[in-house]
Amino acid sequence: MVRVSLIDLTKRYGRITAVDGLNLDIPNMSLTVLLGPTGAGKTTTIKCISGVISPDKGDILFDGESVINIPPWERNVAQFFQTYALYPHLSVYDNIAYPLRERGVSKDEIDKRVKEVARKLRINHLLDRKDPTTLSGGEMQRVALARTLVREPKVILLDEPISNLDAKLREEMIYEFKRLCRELCQTIIYATPDHLEALAVGERIAVIKDGKLHQYGTPEEIYNHPVSKFVATFVGSPTINMIEGELKMKDGSLYLVEGGVTINISNIAGDWINKLSGDKIILAIRPEDILILKERQEGSLEAKALIAEPLGHETVVTCKLGENELKILVRGFFSVKYGEHVWIKINMSKAHIIDPKTEVVLI
Amino acid sequence: MVERSRIVRRRSPIKRALLYITVILVCIVFVFPIFWMIATAFKTRAQAFSWPPLFIWEPTTRNFIDIFLKRQTEIEAITGWELELATGAEIFFINSMIVTFGSIVLALLIGTLAAYSFSRYRPKGTDTLMFFILSTRMLPGIVVAIPIYFFYRNIGLYSTHIGLILLYTMFNLPFAVWMMKSFFDEIPRDIEQAAMVDGTKPIKLFYKIALPQVIVGLAATVGFLIINVWNEFLFALLLTERSVRTVPVAIASTRGEVGINWGLIAAIETLYVIPAIVLIFLLQKYLLRGMTFGTVRGV
Repeated sequence: MVRVSLIDLTKRYGRITAVDGLNLDIPNMSLTVLLGPTGAGKTTTIKCISGVISPDKGDILFDGESVINIPPWERNVAQFFQTYALYPHLSVYDNIAYPLRERGVSKDEIDKRVKEVARKLRINHLLDRKDPTTLSGGEMQRVALARTLVREPKVILLDEPISNLDAKLREEMIYEFKRLCRELCQTIIYATPDHLEALAVGERIAVIKDGKLHQYGTPEEIYNHPVSKFVATFVGSPTINMIEGELKMKDGSLYLVEGGVTINISNIAGDWINKLSGDKIILAIRPEDILILKERQEGSLEAKALIAEPLGHETVVTCKLGENELKILVRGFFSVKYGEHVWIKINMSKAHIIDPKTEVVLI
Repeated sequence: MVERSRIVRRRSPIKRALLYITVILVCIVFVFPIFWMIATAFKTRAQAFSWPPLFIWEPTTRNFIDIFLKRQTEIEAITGWELELATGAEIFFINSMIVTFGSIVLALLIGTLAAYSFSRYRPKGTDTLMFFILSTRMLPGIVVAIPIYFFYRNIGLYSTHIGLILLYTMFNLPFAVWMMKSFFDEIPRDIEQAAMVDGTKPIKLFYKIALPQVIVGLAATVGFLIINVWNEFLFALLLTERSVRTVPVAIASTRGEVGINWGLIAAIETLYVIPAIVLIFLLQKYLLRGMTFGTVRGV
């Protein structure tokens, strides 16, 4: 229910800097995803917000007021731990009831709330279990999730909350998080290394790597307008295609030359040429922005089809263009023979140019 | 367990026979002295000394009666120290219990709290301090025995229960701190962090969340410390007079003009061993679980 601001947040462990000058403004009643690979500093950031870790530098504000000196037991946040962190000596029921008991909620109210959250997470049959460490991974995750969602704190912090659930329950939980955020006006901060989950869950996504913020924006901004090579490659499946080559000017047209392949990029020429640090560029195109043709067309490039992976509603076709392997998404089923000649057409209006040295996305 | 029994069953009869013979031999080596002690406890003075040793005899409960009912028994050869021992044995038992109980409670109280602080808060110089704590046990006790004797004489702790309790607490603390720290180190921090976020303050965190998770380790530590104190001899001998004397010292100070009544001594020893055996049985479940600690846990 509060707006959370991280200002220059820094945390070091010995020589390793887990979080490196992180600035992030998380609006109230929003669902914000921290997206990054393992070791990016997501968990450390979340623990700093809940207060169980004190940062070396920087400040954390709830609605503009610093909480850095408020201990975790008074910060009124709820956190789901990646390791579940269930209390091994308490029963499943007592685990879920624990945060309510610590806050002096009445017995009847506790019983009502525990049963309600257990029903939602489909763990009511587990409530009597004495030793939560004997549960399966998915069950433990749901019990830990129930313990997090049983009360109404200022901020809900979720650290990889659905990684161990089956597909159906994952879908339902994503819906549940979004509903919580909208209906109960909760501020939720959600960490995950899974970009698809991030796109599905997040209203805003902060892409983090090595403790540094790469990009912060809506899922659409992150997907369609990545600011760095890392964001472009990390988000999206199959991974964005990259062709690195030299930039050449010929007869007033602009070309990308790599091996035996020459790609005309005249229609995306612009200011970015002046920002280049060298004469090499990377052309990045999402798999769905390449058209595959069985016959030659104007402006198409000749390529060799290698394999096709049908996924039902679409097919991933791997082609070889010069020395580069490209993944291309085709709607429905599409079959190719190994080594078959095909023609591909790149949708230049959706393509990105990346400076290979600075790894900045220029357009 | 199922796996193991299957392996045993698959062995050839000769191998199995050899296995059992070895087990029996080892058992004899370990169990025989205890058996002989108990046997002697039920022998008269003459029977205890007879040669060849008696394996079949008419057991007598005289020794135990001597311990508990003292004066009412016929005085056969009870004189001097034997009389003292026989007529005041329960004092020694009570002393042993007071000293053991007191020092264990103190050592656990201080040791567990210290171990938790070292494990979780890691104050500056934790490693140095931990080493320092251990180094106090590196000197053989005998080296400090004389200084402690004079020290105790001068400050009035000589031959007092509290004196022995404090000394044993000091001896046991390093073990308590080191053992408990390793158990605390083993439990994941996330659980305490979760409790903090759930609204638990530090002191409560210690006894409501951390302590229940190391209960197995606590039991193992208790067993270890009790054995340390229950058997301690050197300082008990040096620092006590009759009123505070513990059982091991009382047994050892048995020498007289008319020889040693082994039957009586064996009877006292037998009684003295019983609490230790009971304790081991009570803690057995925890001691075994303590050994597998860390391997059976999920997450």
